[in-house]
Amino acid sequence: MAEHVILFTGPMGAGKTTAIQNLSEIEVVSTEANNSERHIVDKATTTVALDYGEITIDGEEKVRLYGIPGQKRFDFMWAILKKRAEGMVLLVNNDAPDPIQEMLNFIDDFRELYDRGGVVVGVSRSDVGTGPSLASYSEALERANPGMVIPVFTVDPRDGDQMQDVLLALIVNIEMRAAFGAMMARSV
Amino acid sequence: MTIDAKDLPRESPSVSMGFPVTVGWTHAAMAINSSLRLGTAVNLTMHVEMHGPLLIDFKNHAFSWSTPLELFPVDAVHTGLETSPTVEDGPPFFELPGEDLDGLLWVMGINSFGGARAYWLPEGERYQLTRWPNLTRHNHTMRQMQMIAVLGNTSATTKELATVVGVEESEAQSLVNALSLMGVLYRSTAEPEMAIVKPTAAAKRKSLFGRLLKRLGR
Repeated sequence: MAEHVILFTGPMGAGKTTAIQNLSEIEVVSTEANNSERHIVDKATTTVALDYGEITIDGEEKVRLYGIPGQKRFDFMWAILKKRAEGMVLLVNNDAPDPIQEMLNFIDDFRELYDRGGVVVGVSRSDVGTGPSLASYSEALERANPGMVIPVFTVDPRDGDQMQDVLLALIVNIEMRAAFGAMMARSV
Repeated sequence: MTIDAKDLPRESPSVSMGFPVTVGWTHAAMAINSSLRLGTAVNLTMHVEMHGPLLIDFKNHAFSWSTPLELFPVDAVHTGLETSPTVEDGPPFFELPGEDLDGLLWVMGINSFGGARAYWLPEGERYQLTRWPNLTRHNHTMRQMQMIAVLGNTSATTKELATVVGVEESEAQSLVNALSLMGVLYRSTAEPEMAIVKPTAAAKRKSLFGRLLKRLGR
């Protein structure tokens, strides 16, 4: 059976578990535990190992959705999963102290995926407070890797249609990057 | 003032309140594009029959309108337009945050020029995306998403874009008009390094995007 691994990453509380719950056709396997870092994010539980969900296509192909813990101390798991991953949805909280730097840090950790166009950034909690504009995220990404255009969307991880849009944009961008990526050498 | 849209020639001027009374959004798109490229701070008020005034604050990239974009009136009758100069540190035109102007530019760009090339786009240019539009907030089709992904990874003419995705050229042109109005397109006349061709049937079958679309019923 063909499989496609998609990662959901980002800092604690950005909505990774909720996003997968809204996409998966099976009940999501979640491993959560009490949050020992409530001074950072006021959330009772947080993912300590993995969330797992899936979408089956025509009974012969699976899109596997893995939510991986946001805390840096779990980065040994990132190394294992990113080898198998085709793409990554990076969720960031717009009301975090420095969400753009946080995004860039995650991009650095998942550079291989980013370089082949396999990243979509979802900015959650954009309706809360006054965080950076969406254009600011895109500009920061452009500075980090000129010529690479990565989709950046505002998202509500509770909204299934929005999460489908995010997943589909990721997949189509990977495919178009594979088809035309070599032509980007010129660039803007 | 009551105007029967049936009696108006589409997009042809019949002066009222200093602005041609028009049906549709082409003249409005032209006015907005001019204001955006002007480089000086202005506020703009559009009078849209039965839909109240549409206020645009370019400096804050926001608009205010009593009509939600989900109910965007494609055949709206425009009866007037006023611009008022402002200054960089001047007060906002209306209570902020208002609505993100990109949402209005997207829907206006898609629904103007009737699938023809926007007047500010010279013939024969190639286009490439500089920033993805916020598709989770803009009503869009999956073909539009596909075309945006193409433009995010290569430069293409509208004809090439239509060929790659398998749509009418007018549909590709409407998308290009909208992206251009939003200011997220790089334009050039340079030839690409390789030909952009229609995908084969085998390539289409191989596409996870196509299969996932079907699976999700989109």
